[in-house]
Amino acid sequence: MEIRSGDELAFRQVYNEVFPVVMKVAYHVTYNQDVAEDICQDAFIRFYDKDMSFPSMDDAKFWLIRVVKNLAINHVKRKVRESASLEKVMRGPQVNPFKDGASELILKESTAAVRKAVSELPEIYKTVIVLREYAGLNYKEIAGVLKISESNVKVRVHRARKELEAMLNREEVNVP
Amino acid sequence: MCLDDQILNTYLDNELTEPWKSQVEEHLSYCPSCRARYQNLLQLSDTIKSSELTEEEIRPHQDRVLSMIEKNYLSKGKSKKSFFKRTFKVSGPQLMGVAAAFVVVFVGSWAVFGNSGSSDGQIILPDVNTTIDLNNITQTRSSDNATTSKSLENYSLDEILKNLDARGYDVDIRLKSIQPLSLDKMSSEVKVIATVSDKGITITSDGLARNADGTIVATGVLVDDKNEVVASDGTVLFTAEETQVVE
Repeated sequence: MEIRSGDELAFRQVYNEVFPVVMKVAYHVTYNQDVAEDICQDAFIRFYDKDMSFPSMDDAKFWLIRVVKNLAINHVKRKVRESASLEKVMRGPQVNPFKDGASELILKESTAAVRKAVSELPEIYKTVIVLREYAGLNYKEIAGVLKISESNVKVRVHRARKELEAMLNREEVNVP
Repeated sequence: MCLDDQILNTYLDNELTEPWKSQVEEHLSYCPSCRARYQNLLQLSDTIKSSELTEEEIRPHQDRVLSMIEKNYLSKGKSKKSFFKRTFKVSGPQLMGVAAAFVVVFVGSWAVFGNSGSSDGQIILPDVNTTIDLNNITQTRSSDNATTSKSLENYSLDEILKNLDARGYDVDIRLKSIQPLSLDKMSSEVKVIATVSDKGITITSDGLARNADGTIVATGVLVDDKNEVVASDGTVLFTAEETQVVE
């Protein structure tokens, strides 16, 4: 089934199916719901505006995931740069990035600890683990989105889990 | 031989192909330590997944973005292209015609208005009395004007600190490199002009009266021609008998 991203009906179909996935990717890379929303909005507007043709729903989904992932990574890099230079000037109030003002949801301790650990992973491990655990992609699909080999994905997933395990053990999180 | 974490992770993600998949399953069936490690990795993966953004958290964002896109993109359709994105097709002669019209308008306007200034010869300005003396200058403060918005200067340090404190900033204020000036550290331009006997007070040319320990007891003082030390309001602080003028 061919999909034209500029066609309203096809767009709505893709939007309903893919938005939750890309929102998860954007959120688990940035850990800020408002920023994640902006990134998703940006990606879907590009998707509609470019009026591209995709051979299948999955291809459209992978295109959106790739765009969202890149926007989210860029945001994080910019944020790190800004906060590094800002910290020299002044020390602002400490805000817990895992408590979004919008949701006011008090997260369970282990959830917060996992989110914190994922946010601290190096970029190459963070992207594979987010795509594997939160976007539910298999190794082949991850390899396609990241444009790396499948065996590379295999190694990165393993190392990402190893790092997370070490970080969570340090935090002494009670694994349910 | 036991299984390493990478193979177990690949198996866990259901990415292991035959015949290795069956071999791993067989090994796990009789090796308790590998089975325990596999359970660990499975739990870790589940723990990571459990922190995922929930449906309820996603829903409001999904609705908000869709309504924004519907309003600005979908309903308008493709026909509404932005002005700047529209391509204009203009032929060569048309372009020449437009350029020629601009030249005519420009030259024409110069012919009509271009030399009007020189024919008049002189520009007459209205006569304004520009004399400024102290009587017609009054000082105004921006805070007198109710409509003026307050700038940072209108707040006292105390108000600024309170405001920052209310926003959760932890502010520490300290004066840097300011020390009370002792007599021997004074600059060369400031000279001791008089001393007051048995009180240990020195008067310097910058109009300050200091105790023996260097603290300032009065400002704006001077020594008059009768050798009296006089304060800024004219009161005599020390009489001529007490004052020794230093030449």
